[in-house]
Amino acid sequence: MSTQTETDRRSVVGRIRASPFLSELLANRLAVVGLSIILALVAIALYARVTYDLGTLVSSRLGTEIPDRAPPGWIGPAPFNIHLFGTDAAARDIYKRVMYGAWLALKFGTITVGISTVVGVGLGIVAAYYGDVTDNTIMRAMDVLLAFPPLLLALALVAIFPRELGLWRAVVALTLVYTPRFARVVRGAGLKVLEDEYIDAVEALGATDPRVLVRHILPNTLAPITVQSTLNFGLAIIDLAALSFLGFGAQAGTPSWGLMLSRGVDNGLLTGKWWLSFFPGLFLAITVLGFNLLGDGMRDALDPRMREAID
Amino acid sequence: MVSKRFVAKRLLLLIPVLFGVATVVFAILHLAPGDPARVIAGQRASPEQLQRVREELGLTRPLWEQYLTFLWDAVRLDFGQSYTISRGAPVRQVIFDRLPITLELAIYGQLAGILIGLPLGILSAVKQDSLTDHLTRVGALSGISIPIFWSGPLLILLFSTYLGVLPTSGRISTQFFLPETWTLFGYELPLTGMITVDTILLGNWPAFVSAVQHLFLPALVIGIYSTALISRMMRSSMLEVVRQDYMRTARAKGQGTKITLLKHGFRNALIPVVTIIGIQFGTLLGGAVLTETVFGINGMGLTIVTAIGALDYPVVQGTVLTFALLFTLVNLFVDITYGYLDPRIQQ
Repeated sequence: MSTQTETDRRSVVGRIRASPFLSELLANRLAVVGLSIILALVAIALYARVTYDLGTLVSSRLGTEIPDRAPPGWIGPAPFNIHLFGTDAAARDIYKRVMYGAWLALKFGTITVGISTVVGVGLGIVAAYYGDVTDNTIMRAMDVLLAFPPLLLALALVAIFPRELGLWRAVVALTLVYTPRFARVVRGAGLKVLEDEYIDAVEALGATDPRVLVRHILPNTLAPITVQSTLNFGLAIIDLAALSFLGFGAQAGTPSWGLMLSRGVDNGLLTGKWWLSFFPGLFLAITVLGFNLLGDGMRDALDPRMREAID
Repeated sequence: MVSKRFVAKRLLLLIPVLFGVATVVFAILHLAPGDPARVIAGQRASPEQLQRVREELGLTRPLWEQYLTFLWDAVRLDFGQSYTISRGAPVRQVIFDRLPITLELAIYGQLAGILIGLPLGILSAVKQDSLTDHLTRVGALSGISIPIFWSGPLLILLFSTYLGVLPTSGRISTQFFLPETWTLFGYELPLTGMITVDTILLGNWPAFVSAVQHLFLPALVIGIYSTALISRMMRSSMLEVVRQDYMRTARAKGQGTKITLLKHGFRNALIPVVTIIGIQFGTLLGGAVLTETVFGINGMGLTIVTAIGALDYPVVQGTVLTFALLFTLVNLFVDITYGYLDPRIQQ
């Protein structure tokens, strides 16, 4: 049995070695730190999602024996009732809210980046492959969206949607902001792949357009797409928080980091009650740092020919 | 040198983009919920009053006519009148008053980024894998990861609440009152709207000191971000350049290390950095929106946030278009600089 595991292990190592991208990425200490941060956050997010009830995190605790704005480490009457990060202006436990915020950030970040990636990749690959009018139409439309400063386009778009949509309107707005970035990267990478002779070969063999696009061009642009997604993941989480901070994202009471931060600033920062805004911001910064560390390492590990497509 | 043809071509390419930008803004505002007539006339307005306001605003005309009118107005930079936040005032005036405030903030932030970021990036590249390099890299990555709306409040807490050395918000102490104009050789000239410049023009030193104290933290938070970004880019660009053949040739002919780095390395490494500075100017403007909100500075950023909340569509329209125009022009300028730094681009 041990030989079996040994062979398994070896084949995994062998495969990692065989992939210059992965081996180079894993040799990058900062990228590994980034990956560890993200994995830890995923664990926190899932734990919070399963353990905590959103309703109790949202509703006010005022009027109970728990004081509002209690400092970090405040211990309540019941055993193990420690409030590690203190309580907020509605006497809610900041620690639990921050943990749940990880779930919200990762969930909405994934949706934003996911949709932008899929739509952007589709548009970019079609533009690269068909060229001419198709390419021009798609890319000029993308240019228009790229001509807006990102956060300002998101702000203007958020104005269209009803307030009740909460974080969803921020998601839709940011998806429109990010899609052109993916389209541009994928188009660039796709054009490089198209230069290769095997594309001519499969076309000569009679492969249909969708087949060439999906089976031959797409797999070869996956590396830059992954890098772009990772780098934009950090940006998406920060932008979602920014929109909530400005009052155009999460609805009142939601334990989203951006909203907790802005409420925390309003409800106690100037009187020295720093913990209301400090902890949500700290987790936000660490999360974004994690994605930036990993994304950076991934970009460095990327084939130089593909690296040109990014930026 | 940059050829006139190159510049003309870039200018022509701007037209379809700006046309598209205007169309997007028109579409956004027409899709926005809420009846502009009700925003202006108020909740208790009678149907007749609402109808009259709609006619005044031209909302009863066919959509294509409204669109063409909007485009023509946009070309003349006429965005109508504010509905709510500066009720009745021309949007152009609102923008004219508040744009310098935002520009001042963005310029100081960007300037700090360039002045600190470029040398840091070069140092980091020249001393690759040294302690300086590691610290710079980790610092830079942290700098772009820390949200402005977190570092800003924390700095206010430290410098204003705890240390009491800097003000918490605003642009200048309320004790100072600045006139509308200043005099030069007996001529009355308008002021710039940039408070650090204006106080110097007026020769009012105590006011200048107060303005600098107020601007310090907002410019610092933008500057940290900008520094982080530029030093990162400068480092990777410089590392790419020092490996080039011409650098070895320059050293081989006996030129000193420093001269080679500055004369051959710096200029070539600067090319991609200039592009990044341009592209990131958009992010910087977004940063200005957040910074203005955090520090209560009534520039374009705070204006757009208030206008969206108050359904003041003409102001939203005008400010978003102005931001997009500004961003596009900065990128045009960057393109031209790029052509100057790397003449091959022009072909």
